[in-house]
Amino acid sequence: MSLRQRLLLLFSLTVAAAVAAVAWTVLVRIRHVFEQRDQEETALFVSQFQREFQHRSAEVAAAVDHLAVSERARGMAFEIVQSGDASPYLTEAQTMAQDAQLDFLEIVGADGDVVSSAQWPARFGYPELAVTGAGEAAFLKREELPDGNSALGLFAVRPIGGAELALHLVGGKRLDQSFLADLPGAPGMQVGLYNERESSTDSRTGSGAAPSATFDPKQLVGTNGDVPSADRYQALIESALKTGQQVTGIVYLTARREDSVSATAIPLKNVTGRVLAVLIVALSREGMVEAQQHIRTIAYGVASGGILLTIACSLWIAARVSRPIEQLAHAAEEVASGNWDVRVPERGHDEVSVLARSFNHMTEQLANQREQLVQSERVAAWRELARRLAHELKNPLFPLQLTVENLVRARALSVEEFDEVFRESTATLGMEIANLKAIIGRFSDFSKMPKPELERIDAKDVVERVRSLYEGAANREAKIEFATEIAGEPMAMMVDPELLHRALSNLVLNAMDAMPNGGKLTISARPRGANIEIKVADMGEGLTQEECERLFTPYYTTKLHGTGLGLAIVQSVVADHGGTIAVESREGGGATFIITLPRITA
Amino acid sequence: MYRRFAISCFVALLTLPTAARTRPHYGGTLRVEIEGDPWQPPNGIARRLVFDGLTTLDTTGAVQSALASGWESDNANHRWQFRLRPGVYFHDGSPLTSTAVVQSLNLDCPANCPWATVHAVGSTVVFTGDSPMPNLPALLAGDEFLIALTATADGKTPSGNIGTGPFQVTSFNNGLLALGANETCWQGRPLADAIEIRVHPAVHDQWLDLSVGRADVVEVPVEMVRQAQQQRLTVLVSQPAFLLALEVTDSGALVNPMLRAAIAASIDRSALANVIFQKQGEATASLLPRSLTGFAFLFPVDRDLNKAHELRGGLNAPTLTLSVDGDGALRLAAQRIALNLKEAGFNAQEVDAGGAQRADLMLRTIPLEGGEAAAVLESVSRSVGAPAIPPDSSPTSLYRAERDFLDRHTLIPLVDLPRAYASGARVRDLALDAHGLPDLASASLEDAP
Repeated sequence: MSLRQRLLLLFSLTVAAAVAAVAWTVLVRIRHVFEQRDQEETALFVSQFQREFQHRSAEVAAAVDHLAVSERARGMAFEIVQSGDASPYLTEAQTMAQDAQLDFLEIVGADGDVVSSAQWPARFGYPELAVTGAGEAAFLKREELPDGNSALGLFAVRPIGGAELALHLVGGKRLDQSFLADLPGAPGMQVGLYNERESSTDSRTGSGAAPSATFDPKQLVGTNGDVPSADRYQALIESALKTGQQVTGIVYLTARREDSVSATAIPLKNVTGRVLAVLIVALSREGMVEAQQHIRTIAYGVASGGILLTIACSLWIAARVSRPIEQLAHAAEEVASGNWDVRVPERGHDEVSVLARSFNHMTEQLANQREQLVQSERVAAWRELARRLAHELKNPLFPLQLTVENLVRARALSVEEFDEVFRESTATLGMEIANLKAIIGRFSDFSKMPKPELERIDAKDVVERVRSLYEGAANREAKIEFATEIAGEPMAMMVDPELLHRALSNLVLNAMDAMPNGGKLTISARPRGANIEIKVADMGEGLTQEECERLFTPYYTTKLHGTGLGLAIVQSVVADHGGTIAVESREGGGATFIITLPRITA
Repeated sequence: MYRRFAISCFVALLTLPTAARTRPHYGGTLRVEIEGDPWQPPNGIARRLVFDGLTTLDTTGAVQSALASGWESDNANHRWQFRLRPGVYFHDGSPLTSTAVVQSLNLDCPANCPWATVHAVGSTVVFTGDSPMPNLPALLAGDEFLIALTATADGKTPSGNIGTGPFQVTSFNNGLLALGANETCWQGRPLADAIEIRVHPAVHDQWLDLSVGRADVVEVPVEMVRQAQQQRLTVLVSQPAFLLALEVTDSGALVNPMLRAAIAASIDRSALANVIFQKQGEATASLLPRSLTGFAFLFPVDRDLNKAHELRGGLNAPTLTLSVDGDGALRLAAQRIALNLKEAGFNAQEVDAGGAQRADLMLRTIPLEGGEAAAVLESVSRSVGAPAIPPDSSPTSLYRAERDFLDRHTLIPLVDLPRAYASGARVRDLALDAHGLPDLASASLEDAP
């Protein structure tokens, strides 16, 4: 990963994390505020609802109170007490309930038995326990009905015409759909009443019923009948039933967050404190959730835009910061590859510009030093060349001078002796001149190395050709044992066969020269990775470390009569084929020349 | 002497108008308002005005001749021969024949009849039975065996109800049934010229019409008799005219007679009679009214809830269906019975009486027809499909037959109930007959011309 990419990633991550943290904080805060407001609104409605509920309770109490003090009720009570016969008033409760617009009304005799019942006329003669222990205030009571069902109602108990008559009225209004519909509502508010089912009921006492253990969604009715997704309120209702406390929570009606309500479950208890029903006041959260989602969408949009902008800025900053360094790195690579003329721009006065200036100064110094070195080496090379030339040419020149002087001195001799001297001198002159031509030819060959003509051959063939050429002579003249070690697998390579043969021949001749007293010369070829390794090893005196380092330098030789160009030519040939040549040697341990050439696999 | 004679004559002249006012007058239209169908037995008030039976019951319940002038039995009451009264004509002018009587009886009673066959032999109608029919004359006085014309002389079905009674149908429009006096009635012409029977107004509307003079005779439900009397209406209350009883199926969940007995023991009859029917009925556990036998006390009416639980023996009967053949007080009584049953461990659910499936319990009223105890017993028991016919009319035989019937607990007697009507001020000499229905043919109007 490049510096620019690292910087970009670092900047982007930092800014994205910062933006995300801010967005998260803002959203959480907004959600908290909304929910707090929602709870306050729900609490307000619940409070208003409870006040209305109390108001309805007071209305029921007032209606029963009004009936109890009416002349009609008093007259009835008086006659019942006087005659002891309540049967004529069997249907009286129905009439009175209709007049007072009450859903429930029972006239209860002095013995606590029902005289007349509006809701269940056949229940006369059965005890009504609500009379005992009832106070002034209205209370909740579950009333059984002839059809086997029961209904929840707000009831009030009043004595008729004072305590002396000992009759009571138990009147009430039904808590049902119409009751809920009459209660004040608000847009988005839904009211439901969960009637706790009872597993069994004692018809004589109207009590003793045990609450049902299972939640039945059908028992939850709203102002329009069934409450949609009633089962979603289960946890809230069960909690209210269990604890007897008001419970508030969020109810998700569907998988969509908009379809959720902030619901409050208000337990409705009878005089003994048992929860008979649960009133559900649910306020739709649709508007709030939509507002939240709107804000969230905006926040996400702003955050995304901010992050994108930040990435763009980061790109620019990273580019600005990394560009000089990249230029420096590139320049350094150029320098490393030998191009010492490269320069980096110098802008500003910061650390990077100081570095750039230093780099430019360094490369300038290096270039200057290299130029000086090249010039020095060139001078040294010319000196070495001159020395070699002088040395090589001086050897044949001395015999030539002696021969010419002999020839001059021979003029004083007889013709026969002069002729003899003349023939010997001309032969020597010819031989030395040929020697000079050979020396000049070798120098000429080095300067005119031909371009390789590549073709596919096997390394084995190259080695075998060299062996066949030199093995006989080596054995015969120098008593050198010739050995080859060739791998069995194919070792194809693209080389110029003649140049490679000439290079190997040069190494073999050097090896033979290194073993004037005989020895073993080994040529091996084997694959090594993607290359082919050809080794020429001798058992001669070996080379020193310094000789090894300078061995491939042109005109360097360890021989008395060498030009120092042989190994330089070998190195040139190997380099022209994309290969390398190295030498491994230690003093007295012989030397091994290792040529490595690319291998062709297909 | 002359002076005394003159004074006597003067006093006699003065008393003449008074005597004239007390003598029944012919003419006028009686306006009757009822809630139910006037043709529907057993409460169809128009049936006995238009139709006659072969026999009838007098006010004491004794069998009297009607369309049959006489009868005799043979073969130990297995065969009865009724001689038709001569000179009797249907309202369309066709003579009453034995064939017409047989056709009417066959139409009235297609099955479960007291007799096996009935056929015409000259001017007589002959009944034969597989078993003795000692109560046949009394049973023929019943509402269900009234004789109607079923085919005209040319063999066609008559368009309306045609009988031999004191009144004939003149029209029936907009819920108003108009009857005209049958001038050639074999019993003699009725006093009123016509009767208008208005159908289906509510009871309180009937009373209001009676109070303001728009009606002369109205119905009074039994449970409202006391209320009518408090409103100072002239109320006529009959002897027990029908029995309120709970018919219990002996199949399904109630195949066990102990459960049926438990149901019988769990019902509070007194509450039904004293409260729901406002003491106008009499709680009873016997089929026959106390006034007919004198041994009704042998069938205890008190509720015994402990016994009911004991009889139920902890058995859990499934929810029983309860239907009621009526409304108002009957429905209230059904609710009360359901409440009583619940205390005894039964769960009864009220269902529609017209449902496809027969209810386990049916609260119904059964007419106490027949006049004589044995006939009433047979009539009542026959109405539930299991006639109890005592071998003779001795109290012992009656008790045994009734006890055997009731021990099956398929019919639980609850309350003997009367019928009641209220009449207006212009109606004179209105009385209730042996069936508890107003004898409108004998009534006259005060202001008739």
